[in-house]
Amino acid sequence: MNALDYLQFVLAPQVVNGLALGVAVVLVALGLTIIFGMLDVINMSHGEFYAIGAYAALALGAAGINFWFLLVLVPVLMVPLGMAAERLLIRPVFDSRDRHVTTLLVTFGLALVVEDLLKVAFGPNTQRPPTPIPGATELAGIIVPNYRLFLIVVGAAIVSGVAYVVYRTRLGAMVRAAAFDRNMAASLGVPVALVYAGTFAFGVALAGLAGVLLAPIYSVFPTMGRDFILLAFTVVIVGGMGSIWGAVVAGLLLTQVQALASLVISPVWTDPIVFGTMVAFLVFRPQGLFGRLGHA
Amino acid sequence: MRDRLTLSMRASHLLALVFVAAALALAAIGAASGDTFYLRLGTEALIFAGLALSVDLLLGYSGALSLGQALYFGIGAYVSALTLLKVPSFWLAMAAAGGATLLASIVGGLIANRVRGVYFALITFGLAQVVAKVVYNTRELGASDGMIGIPVIEIGFGPVSVSAGNPVGFFLIVLAIIMGLYWLTAYLLDTPFGRVLTALKANEKRVPFLGYSVWWARMFSYVLAGLIAGLSGALYPMLRGFVSPELMFFATSGNAVISVILGGVGTLIGAIYGSVLLVLLKSIIGSWTEHHLIVIGVIFMVCVMFLPKGLVGFIRPRIEERLLAGAQKPAAPSFAPVRLEAGSAKP
Repeated sequence: MNALDYLQFVLAPQVVNGLALGVAVVLVALGLTIIFGMLDVINMSHGEFYAIGAYAALALGAAGINFWFLLVLVPVLMVPLGMAAERLLIRPVFDSRDRHVTTLLVTFGLALVVEDLLKVAFGPNTQRPPTPIPGATELAGIIVPNYRLFLIVVGAAIVSGVAYVVYRTRLGAMVRAAAFDRNMAASLGVPVALVYAGTFAFGVALAGLAGVLLAPIYSVFPTMGRDFILLAFTVVIVGGMGSIWGAVVAGLLLTQVQALASLVISPVWTDPIVFGTMVAFLVFRPQGLFGRLGHA
Repeated sequence: MRDRLTLSMRASHLLALVFVAAALALAAIGAASGDTFYLRLGTEALIFAGLALSVDLLLGYSGALSLGQALYFGIGAYVSALTLLKVPSFWLAMAAAGGATLLASIVGGLIANRVRGVYFALITFGLAQVVAKVVYNTRELGASDGMIGIPVIEIGFGPVSVSAGNPVGFFLIVLAIIMGLYWLTAYLLDTPFGRVLTALKANEKRVPFLGYSVWWARMFSYVLAGLIAGLSGALYPMLRGFVSPELMFFATSGNAVISVILGGVGTLIGAIYGSVLLVLLKSIIGSWTEHHLIVIGVIFMVCVMFLPKGLVGFIRPRIEERLLAGAQKPAAPSFAPVRLEAGSAKP
């Protein structure tokens, strides 16, 4: 096999698959990093919200609702859920002495409950919704499933949309102001409590949207969130806790490391390599690639 | 010298005595009725209590939340199992497990102690997850099935020996080891070095100004916690006769954290009570539904939000008051400091 064939048949498909996984990870990490950057809360139940989104897509899809409609419906349904979680679980402990640890523990408890509830409601087995866009396209000699192409395009659009809202709109400015100094923001008329609840709900809705988008590729099972969350946390740490661009760059970078490393070594060892990258970042650049959101 | 920590540790020791008494009573009842099931369950609760103890040492004293303490528990269990398969010696297995976890926790500590706060929690979480995945996929270590067929050993103390298959005998040995680890931890916390650890949680920035190295204190507590977890883990294959990668999974670390929160953070004995409480809750709830995590998760959340000091944290101040009242009686009233606390104004 010559070098060109290797490039076309081994390397390129791996890069494209890595890209699809990267977009998936970025979508999950996006909500995580926004909630951390704005609220200073570690949401350990983020993976479970992602699972809820996937199960909602599965159940509503089985009830005959069109996939394209679900892309809007599920995130909208996730908003009240996120608001309720923020109101009932986060806000009572928001001002406790060690907010990081306390909120982490509370959301960890929530994750346990949600995971078991999903098992009760849907059973422990793996399920898979039908792929909404079947078929594959040949791009420059590489065969790519259409749905993965769609995922990459939609993922890029979502990230750009979120970044636009956060950095370029009045709403985003209000949210960043509330994160930077909540007393000052409140005295300037920003409804801080509502902004916090809304931000949390927005992060949760993003997790739900990621669930809808990724269910046809990665299947749906009760512990799906737990399996995905370590990679998402790694991305958030490497990118810089709370940075949107950091999550994008780190997400794409780490999944490429994973995809390319698995060509050379056994896939078992790709996790330690990805994790080692995170450790190296923490040692040499503990603040991550980019600084924190709202804390420029 | 009498300060808050000495006083609260004395209250913890009282609760520890109550615990040992209750455990001995269980052993006596078990021996009399020829019960195996509850003694085995109790032994398992004690083994996991050791893991919870190590989490409490980190969270309750140096203030670092470890979400991957099961890593060292699992390493201890695997090394102990591997040793027992070759040489069925209790002491050798414990020594090997202790040595291996010591090394592992030094490596882990060098990585995890670069960071603090949530980063520490996530790094420890990741470390455990990665090692667990590697073990899960390594055929030499039994992969996802783990290792079975670990022999039932004779535990020799000079001329006497007790079989690990004897429910009462093994229960008592595990009780002695776990309470020994508790005592060792409590003793170390009472030394000047232990005070540096508590100072870390109170105000880490001031510790270096007093001339103490933060890094060494954090490292020492991390390695000690790893060692405690490893030695507890080493007992697991002796009880169950097998090890599996689940021992390193997040569920195991998470259970230890739940035990500590239920029992009371920073009380040491709370971790042990919490672990027993968790096992009890699981077996009670498990008798009517297999989805016990829903109930335990809700109890855990309520505990974090409304009872942040846990069970022992709720009971202990009352014991402290008693101890204080008892200690102040013989002191000359003119020297007694004026305390404006509830309950101290008693005649």
